[in-house]
Amino acid sequence: MTALTVEGLLGGYAAADHVVKGVSLAVAPGELVCVIGPNGAGKSTVLKLLTGLLRPRGGRVALDGRDVTGLPPRAVLEAGMVLVPQERNVFGTLTVEENLAMGCFLDARRARSRMAAVMDRFPLLAERRRQLARTMSGGQRQILAMGQALMSEPRVLLLDEPTAGLSPKAATDLFGLVRATAASGVAVLMVEQNALQAMEISDRALVLVDGRNAHEGPAPALARDPAIRRLFLGGRGEGRMDATGTARETSP
Amino acid sequence: MIEALLQALINGVIAGTILAVPALGFTAIFAVLNYPNFAIGALATVGAYAGWAGNTALGLPMVAALALAFAATAVAGLAVQWVAVKPLESAGALMMAIASLAAGLVLENALRFTFGNDLRGYDLPLLRDWRFGEFRVGPQQVQNFALALAAMALLWAFLRYSRTGRAMRAVADNRDLALLRGVDPVRVAAVTVAVGAGLAGMGGMLIGLDTSVDPLVGNRLILSIFAAAVLGGLGSIPGAVAGAIAIGVAEELAVLAFNPAYRLVVGFVVILAVLTLRPAGLFGARAS
Repeated sequence: MTALTVEGLLGGYAAADHVVKGVSLAVAPGELVCVIGPNGAGKSTVLKLLTGLLRPRGGRVALDGRDVTGLPPRAVLEAGMVLVPQERNVFGTLTVEENLAMGCFLDARRARSRMAAVMDRFPLLAERRRQLARTMSGGQRQILAMGQALMSEPRVLLLDEPTAGLSPKAATDLFGLVRATAASGVAVLMVEQNALQAMEISDRALVLVDGRNAHEGPAPALARDPAIRRLFLGGRGEGRMDATGTARETSP
Repeated sequence: MIEALLQALINGVIAGTILAVPALGFTAIFAVLNYPNFAIGALATVGAYAGWAGNTALGLPMVAALALAFAATAVAGLAVQWVAVKPLESAGALMMAIASLAAGLVLENALRFTFGNDLRGYDLPLLRDWRFGEFRVGPQQVQNFALALAAMALLWAFLRYSRTGRAMRAVADNRDLALLRGVDPVRVAAVTVAVGAGLAGMGGMLIGLDTSVDPLVGNRLILSIFAAAVLGGLGSIPGAVAGAIAIGVAEELAVLAFNPAYRLVVGFVVILAVLTLRPAGLFGARAS
């Protein structure tokens, strides 16, 4: 059984303007699925529609078979799905410990035991428990953001471009943590710009173009597909894709 | 001259600490709800009258009268929020600020209609000032100073250690993320308005204790409160305290140089200077 099932999701920022025009996907427990695509393809908008930050105009979202379409963020969180946004994903004026406590806001009685478990998984957070989040490096803040999200023991973890702005080393380290989180049984759906590296660590990949599923399949196979490589991955025939999914060859 | 300066400094620190109480209320509401609540002056007046009524009509001791001032003003603040401000939420911060200004005028005139324009005094024993060499401090001043410090300590503990206080700080820091973590923004807004207005009421009563109570008690404060919050950085809790003490001291020092009637100029000058030179204020990050 899948943890997260999305069928024909429609929606966007204005009633008449759908950025997401019919996205379908499924993520099983313990599985890591990455969503890649050009800028403007609607990747981050999908995550906002799933978590109630935007209201879907059509389609269905189910968590463990339970319909959660259009529920507000709090209800989605209670149902077991949590989002780590791309930017401003920690409370900068709160300490590491307070940030983690906010991750367990709805079940404060369990905060202490959950905090111990999260700090055990991310020892960096234990070392810096009294540090203000705004004084941490980008990579450390991403780890804190993931730790905060895991405080609620989610069934489904949504990550919006977790490596944006990180150094290559920090990005590799973070991908390792994402992989380990999926291996612990959490269903992880990750939107990423860093397509090649994301596909390397993912079980499956979904390519979004203009708000629709364009390609999907096992991530290693997709990463080897010459058409996908041309579209995303650079190297020989350095290719980039515009918002409509049209490949534009550039000189190597 | 040095003695006069030091005496003004002592008076300024005490006055500034008392001013910090309503300034904290103002800045807390701004931090969480993102608009300047200009009803804060009228709410301070509500607190001054509530405390006065509790003390003189009900015979309450000062601490209990202060708690009554807090509670009555919290209710009045929620009424202002729900009746006047919230319906204009979608129109933006400027409309909400104007609505709060209008609601403040209504409150002030309702008090004038009920209690008249007479000056009212608390039921307090007349005490001789304490003298320390050349300096003098009134026992009532010291008591007010201690009550203001206690109110600030309680607020600090509430924000630091309670789940609701932490949620308030989280919403002030990052509203969208707080929403994603399950915080109910309506409840947090209501608690913030109640606490912010309550603090304004306590501040109004403390200032009423120092002077007297009349319908303009809060109106005379509003510019100093706003200047303190702007100086400290709108939305910054430590900034409001530092800003209020700086304004208190500056107002007392200004009295040495100018006619006391021009004391209000200090607030205007500080607001103009901060907005020109450092719009984020001393501790604020919002404008940067």
